[in-house]
Amino acid sequence: MADVNMTLEMVQASQVGMKAIGAGLAVGLTGVGTGVAEMGIGAAAVGAIAENKDFFGLGLLFTVIPETIVIFGLVIALLLLF
Amino acid sequence: MLAPKPMGRMLIVASRDQAAPIINELYREHLFHIEDYVEQGQGGYEGFKIGTPLEGATEASAELIKVRAIENVFSVRGEDADAKQKLSTPEIQKKIEQDLPGIEKEVEGLTGARSKLDTKAKEYEQKIVELTPFKEIPLDLALLQGFKHFSVLAGYVPRDVTISVPHEIQVVKGKDRSFVLVVVTENDRARAERELQEAQFQSVSIPAETGTATARTAYYTEQIASLKKEIEAINVKLAKIKESHTDLLVACEEAFRARIEQTEAPLRFATTSKVFVAEGWVPADRIAALSAALDKVTGGKVFVSEQPVDPVHDNVPVEYNNPDFAKPAQLLMDVYSRPTYTEVDPTLVLSIMFPIFFGVIVGDVGYGLLMLALCIGLWRFMKGDEVHQFLKILRNASIMSIIFGLLFSEFLGFELPWAPIIYSRHLNIGVTEAGGHGAAIAQLLIVSVWVGILYVTLGRALGMINHARQDHGDHRLKAVLASLGWITVMWGILIAIWSMFPIPLMPDLTGLPIVAVGLSVGMVLAIVFIVMGVIFIARDAVLEIIEIPTIISHVLSYTRLTAVGLSSVAIAMVVNYMSIGMFINPGMKSLSIVGIVMIIVGVLIFLLGHAFNLALGMLDGGLHSIRLHYVEFFTKFYKGGGRKYIPFGMKRKFTED
Repeated sequence: MADVNMTLEMVQASQVGMKAIGAGLAVGLTGVGTGVAEMGIGAAAVGAIAENKDFFGLGLLFTVIPETIVIFGLVIALLLLF
Repeated sequence: MLAPKPMGRMLIVASRDQAAPIINELYREHLFHIEDYVEQGQGGYEGFKIGTPLEGATEASAELIKVRAIENVFSVRGEDADAKQKLSTPEIQKKIEQDLPGIEKEVEGLTGARSKLDTKAKEYEQKIVELTPFKEIPLDLALLQGFKHFSVLAGYVPRDVTISVPHEIQVVKGKDRSFVLVVVTENDRARAERELQEAQFQSVSIPAETGTATARTAYYTEQIASLKKEIEAINVKLAKIKESHTDLLVACEEAFRARIEQTEAPLRFATTSKVFVAEGWVPADRIAALSAALDKVTGGKVFVSEQPVDPVHDNVPVEYNNPDFAKPAQLLMDVYSRPTYTEVDPTLVLSIMFPIFFGVIVGDVGYGLLMLALCIGLWRFMKGDEVHQFLKILRNASIMSIIFGLLFSEFLGFELPWAPIIYSRHLNIGVTEAGGHGAAIAQLLIVSVWVGILYVTLGRALGMINHARQDHGDHRLKAVLASLGWITVMWGILIAIWSMFPIPLMPDLTGLPIVAVGLSVGMVLAIVFIVMGVIFIARDAVLEIIEIPTIISHVLSYTRLTAVGLSSVAIAMVVNYMSIGMFINPGMKSLSIVGIVMIIVGVLIFLLGHAFNLALGMLDGGLHSIRLHYVEFFTKFYKGGGRKYIPFGMKRKFTED
């Protein structure tokens, strides 16, 4: 795979780029995961709140539970980048 | 602190003729949470019935409806109005008798006249609509009706139409349909109608008017204009009444509401033909004072006694008992759920830690100042108790953001003239010269994990207290030990990790001596902790074992304090780099037209970018801080579902005794 003509600088630069791609994937994919997970919960929570406003706190709580996934992605991205 | 206000159960018995003074006094004191009497044949209540309202209830209700109707006309609401001066009871009584009927009559008359005029204007508008199709026909409308031997058919057809009987036709071509006026003899009418039907004829009735359609339309338009003028004049009169009498109206509403609540109070009491019994809750430290006050107003003709309280089964109403600075956080507690009477009330923890978490996440002097300014601005415009409590929370959060901004040395993503006092969050974005210190990400993450460890431990410890207070018998010990088990499992896992890997800012146990089968002292301790914890958990509920991985995810969840904060720093720095580095600096170098445009674009990016980041920061900071409490902290010990303490009476805004 490695091109014999690549210089050391080129290899280093491409590694930085790979890190950036990895960080982007970490945030992006976990974001998608969180979104998919929150989709159903959020819809149901809004339905419940429409029926009874007292559910707001509980609904919010349930909706944000998958939020942790994207935070993990964000943490990994930060560790990769800096 | 950390517990709701102690409550006492009070029983008031008196003869029915003492009901009015007693209710009045209870209402004034605003302390007695009435326990509604329901006829279910409870022991000791045989022969009791629900009471009947005191005298004057019906009249007060009728008056209240009238006052509310007037308030509706003026779109005034008691909750939104400012209290300029409080009226005393005799004053308000006098005004209700003297001024109110006049105002009511005047407003009723004016609104009645206005609605009549409105109806008339609508009628005329309808007539104009009916006249519109005939505008192109230059005939007197009286000539189109009232024949004995002829019929006039008017309507729309989508295409050309041919009629086989003798007829006269006038066609006004339209865009996609034509208006036709057909005159046939009475004998041919049925046939003509059929042929028109086949051409999809839509009939239009001929207005009963005299004169051409154009002239009549002009006449009605004029009439409508003059009606509108009259309505306007009435509106001006109403506005004048509103201006001079709003204060009186809201005060009257309050007075009537108070009177209704008082006169209807017996509906919540148990009564016989001679006596009534009122049961309810009063904060324990006020019982003596309230009894004395009741004794005084009735001249001793009342029997008051304090009943024993069973805190677990009595469903005691809950009133928060917090120091003043923690009161705004009660709003956040009520969003989740009010604590029960026997539960630990975590409001104090929330009130201290929520602003700190918010501050750590936002951590920027510039954003903090902007939020503080926003808060002060909204305070003037927004009314209502809850909104003000909310703004107080925001104010505390912004102050913490400023403090942490000073510590992190951040101002809208720029560095303040000193190095960060605690760990740096400055990322190397747009830094061209070497020597930037960069962010201490690993340290920040570990500190936030420590916060998580302490929070989860605290949550489980509070869980032990709650279980010890609420559970009974065999289950009590098991539940308490299960909470302890969760703590030991977590610390066991931690000790195991520390024994295997050295982690900065955490104890390093890798160097401990090995005792047996290649396991160090730390590892042995960890295994003992974990096994013990798992046994404790399993003894309470075996299925809980599958929840053990949540220990790790909940602790790591606290890393969002760092991660979300860093992402907002990153956005701020990117905005700065884009606006200053990419547009403003190059623009400054050559002050041509292009350069000036670049500077303007740069300033726009700066403003929009930071506005966006401020909004995002408030949302992130608030939502994540509250979530760390609701999800990771409360789920470990807190159930909620307590009943709100609603004392009989009201906070008077416009009137006073």
